[in-house]
Amino acid sequence: MRHKLIAAAVAMACASPALAQNAGLDQIRRDIEDLRSSYESRIKALEDKLKAAEASATQAQASAAQAEASAAKAATAETGSDTTPAPQAAAQTASQSAFNPALSLILNGTWGRFGDDPTSRITGFAPAGGEVSPGRGASLGESELFLTSSVDPYFRGSLLVALTPDNTVSVEEAYAETTALGQGFTIKAGRFFSGLGYLNAVHLHAWDFVDASLVQRAFLGTNYGDDGVQVRWVAPLPVLLQFGAEVGRGREFPGAGGVVRNQNGAESRAFFVKLGGDIGTSGSYQVGASHLEQRSGANGVAFLDYNDLSGLNNLFSGRQRINGVDMVYKWAPDGNPTYRNFKFAAEWYQRRYDGDFTFDTAGFAATDALSARQSGWYAQAIYQFLPYWRVGARYDRLSAGSVALNANAANLTPPEFDPKRYSLMVDWNPSEFSRIRLQYSRDLTRQDIATGLAIADNQLFLQYIFSLGAHGAHQF
Amino acid sequence: MKTPINLVGAAVLLLAATVSHAAIQVFACSPEWGSLVTEIAGPRASIFVATTAMQDVHRIQARPSLIARARTADLIVCTGAELEVGWMPLVRSQAGNDRIQPGKPGWLEVANVVPRIEVPTSVDRAMGDVHPMGNPHIQFGPKQIRLAAGELSRRLISIDPAGAADYKTRLADFTRRWDDATDRWMRDGAPLKGVTVIQHHKNFSYLFDFLGMRQVSSLEPKPGVEPTSAHLRDLVENQKTDPVRMIVRASYQSPDASEWLAQHISVPALMLPATVGGSDGATNLFTLFDDCIRRMLSVLES
Repeated sequence: MRHKLIAAAVAMACASPALAQNAGLDQIRRDIEDLRSSYESRIKALEDKLKAAEASATQAQASAAQAEASAAKAATAETGSDTTPAPQAAAQTASQSAFNPALSLILNGTWGRFGDDPTSRITGFAPAGGEVSPGRGASLGESELFLTSSVDPYFRGSLLVALTPDNTVSVEEAYAETTALGQGFTIKAGRFFSGLGYLNAVHLHAWDFVDASLVQRAFLGTNYGDDGVQVRWVAPLPVLLQFGAEVGRGREFPGAGGVVRNQNGAESRAFFVKLGGDIGTSGSYQVGASHLEQRSGANGVAFLDYNDLSGLNNLFSGRQRINGVDMVYKWAPDGNPTYRNFKFAAEWYQRRYDGDFTFDTAGFAATDALSARQSGWYAQAIYQFLPYWRVGARYDRLSAGSVALNANAANLTPPEFDPKRYSLMVDWNPSEFSRIRLQYSRDLTRQDIATGLAIADNQLFLQYIFSLGAHGAHQF
Repeated sequence: MKTPINLVGAAVLLLAATVSHAAIQVFACSPEWGSLVTEIAGPRASIFVATTAMQDVHRIQARPSLIARARTADLIVCTGAELEVGWMPLVRSQAGNDRIQPGKPGWLEVANVVPRIEVPTSVDRAMGDVHPMGNPHIQFGPKQIRLAAGELSRRLISIDPAGAADYKTRLADFTRRWDDATDRWMRDGAPLKGVTVIQHHKNFSYLFDFLGMRQVSSLEPKPGVEPTSAHLRDLVENQKTDPVRMIVRASYQSPDASEWLAQHISVPALMLPATVGGSDGATNLFTLFDDCIRRMLSVLES
């Protein structure tokens, strides 16, 4: 544009008869000449640049065409003997960072409103420790950092670290898993969430409610995990039939308040079996059964369930067995969950204690046999009625069952009280990576000692969960 | 003790039922790859297709049945380019099958061996669900399918060398028919050249690219984000300056947004099969292209 203006100015200048008669004409001509030559050289430089750019573009096109041609050739009929590898269309950058583990980060936080103190216990069932119960007011939840990568062609490694709001770091999971065994076998070693039940292995950020079910909190310490080895086998069938066995140190004794035990040998064993498949194109299911068995070891474990009653350090030494069944059913029209989908899940567990119970108070300790049989279950349903919007309802119940204290019955009376809870939630998921949730719970888990009735606690939560980084795959 | 014996008997029967006469078992992540395996392997393969054209491929879950099928697969054929990132890694890690792990001939991600379009120069989740490796809906690129067929036959030969001659013959036959069909689509689709179009999600970019059509916009404000009323109103405005001739959605997408826009800008909205099985006509890869082109031509004429 500017060149044209200059050229026009030059033309006008040359054509103007008035200027030709001017005494300073030569001077002006020289000035214009200078101007033109300077512009010409600059235009020339630009033209050269353009030519060079064009040339390299043509070259690039040519090589692209060549690549395409060889690709097409590689794909043509006579291949067989032609071992030319297929072209890697996107040249992979061979930098060290390409080997970095996939990294994802979960941020979550809640605003909670409780009528009662959220740290108080479920009557007759101590929360097993390690449970995640959001506090009052605004509170940061656990931030989870997840790293995973292939180790080599034979193993895969994963680490999940939880950064807790009270500035501690806990290794939730750190394990290596085989990828090359074949025949349906996988072996996992390290620290991991047990495969028992349905929700036990699900991390906090993938829960459908702000908090875990009561039975998980009371019997499994929310997510029961151990340091040990897991072996899984999938049967070669068109439906999923999976068997799993775990042996571990018994690092944590669910129900013992997360006390880390100092023990040789394998004091913990878990077994589970899962069966799952499709029901038409719209539905799919999974049912499972599991068994967990632990020994407390010679030293016993703190028996928090009754510490609340006596205010003292009671001790249990013996065997704990947990049996459970679980089921989940999912439905979506044509199997497409984008617009509408439904999910139902339920789990039932029974816990048995067999061993010795020591009632311990100053200057007095009484030990006698304890046998207890208690149970609990939950059922929950989640419905996505619009893209991004889900509603859910959950019912939780624990059963005090039977507790035989024998001689210690004179010292302690186990409460005959069945805690329960109703929860409703609605969440908004603007993308796969974010979730904002409102939940209301009517909590009837604490007994009023005076009346024997439940203390009704209305709880309200507002929660956010954000996932950053690599796109994680979620279990069914 | 009778029950366990019965159970074992039933399991053996089930097992026998799954072990068909086919030489190899193939797990196809989506129907287009199932169709391609049928073309190249014929009766040598028994094929399980994990998803349908009525399902949003971005949102598949790691269903128990998928883990079961991956357990016995000799070859898994997926799109790749992170399209199956939300479920396939879990299926692979649960299945206990060494043949289908990355690096093995039994793990094929087609997107790795074909050129892709719409590769972003930078990615950020603020841009929506963008695929760093480019548009993964490669089943609508005739050139891409041709390349995929070649790679598939190489994988089949390496897994089942006994069938090498068979795979080569079938590949030659397929390639010849595919090239003929590609020429035909180019000819039949000539009236579509330069036609402007809005698509719901970028499902059909490869097809538009092949036919020389021009996509003006998407109903999604950002990839993976469902259409919003504000964005649809922008599209109505945009029609005045850059008019489109048709609005296209895939078989698994809700018709609401495209029909709303169609009414407001008086342009036909049409459904195209997202892949094989997405319409009555789209029974295999060939008829998938036939059906899409026929559907677009029919609205052009009206």
